[in-house]
Amino acid sequence: MDRVNLKINGQPIQARAGQSLLAVARDNGIDIPTLCHLDGLSGVGACRLCLVEVAGVGRLLPACTTPVQHDMDVRTDSPRLARYRRMILELLFSERNHVCAVCVSNGHCDLQAMAQSQGMTHVRFPYLYPPLKVDASHRRYVLDHNRCILCTRCVRVCAEVEGAHMWDVMSRGVHSRLVAELNQPWGDSQVCTSCGKCVAVCPTGALAEKGRAVGEMQKPPLHLTDLALLRGGLS
Amino acid sequence: MALAAAHSIGLTQRQAIDQLINDHRGRPGALLTVLERIQEAQPRKFLPAEVLRYVAAAMRIPLSRVFSVVTFYAFFNLTPQGDNTVCICRGTACHTRGSRDLLERLKLELGLTDTGPGEGSADKVSLTTPDSRFTVRTVACFGQCALAPVVEINRNIHGHMNEREMHKAIQALR
Repeated sequence: MDRVNLKINGQPIQARAGQSLLAVARDNGIDIPTLCHLDGLSGVGACRLCLVEVAGVGRLLPACTTPVQHDMDVRTDSPRLARYRRMILELLFSERNHVCAVCVSNGHCDLQAMAQSQGMTHVRFPYLYPPLKVDASHRRYVLDHNRCILCTRCVRVCAEVEGAHMWDVMSRGVHSRLVAELNQPWGDSQVCTSCGKCVAVCPTGALAEKGRAVGEMQKPPLHLTDLALLRGGLS
Repeated sequence: MALAAAHSIGLTQRQAIDQLINDHRGRPGALLTVLERIQEAQPRKFLPAEVLRYVAAAMRIPLSRVFSVVTFYAFFNLTPQGDNTVCICRGTACHTRGSRDLLERLKLELGLTDTGPGEGSADKVSLTTPDSRFTVRTVACFGQCALAPVVEINRNIHGHMNEREMHKAIQALR
């Protein structure tokens, strides 16, 4: 097997060719913050939190989709990266109506936890307050676009693990929305198997079980083997 | 589902779509070409939901993926288009030469009051008159900035457009 030698944060590291920077860093105990990444699903570089500095490359690269190369010199933590990561989080918050105080995932939310761990204290950008709807047409689950960060974890788990590919993202830019099939109510979907994987992997309160009050939506720990077995609910 | 979708579109059209899909089988990005051709062949230049359903089933592509593609590209229409298409450039050069006024003037002239969500913004506009005579669209740039402001009427580029010229062109089409 081809080996690759590189440096991450000054530490000499050996990796397998074809591995992503993120996987290699985590194998070696170096944490890089992510929201869209999930072990076992394809990397898409949607959240941009895993941006790292690579010596000799002028722009920042997403660790989750950048394969390791010989003699790479990578920095995963710097004042500049910390600043950008906070800014990315602020932009995520400002784009939708993330009101933690009334969210089912309050206290168990990856976005909230990430903001706290990255030292985000406030949002400097004006909130867009888009008028978004809640899709409660499914018998057991609910989709709240107000909490969605378009990480596409649900899209990928549905397509790659469950094999249903009911979810996708429509339109682009600020108009992007999670859609079920032909932009129809979730409950009307003929493809959905109601397996609950999308709910389990959603990092925020965008996908939740019905009947949960504020802060009551706890998602299970994310192991894909468990996810693959998941049928008929989270509990 | 494929069967249900097949029943809602005519036999001739279904055969044409099948032929298209066959011609492009196995090619990466075949979906885009297939959808483009179908839209071209439609009298109202749009992609009805039942056609999307049929294409998804026939090409074995998830319906949500097909919908994602047709909403990502501004080229695809999900609503019937008018007999005549007037496309106003809202790029930077045309904007500075007054393309917003042209757009507002045109909407006024055709009685299109429904401005949609992004009034006055750079958002994409696609409006069709109730009698289906005219569709008004905007694009980000035609690449003809030296001719700003640019208006495309039924695929002909008109440079240095002003309200009077536009009015004349529209009257000629009525």
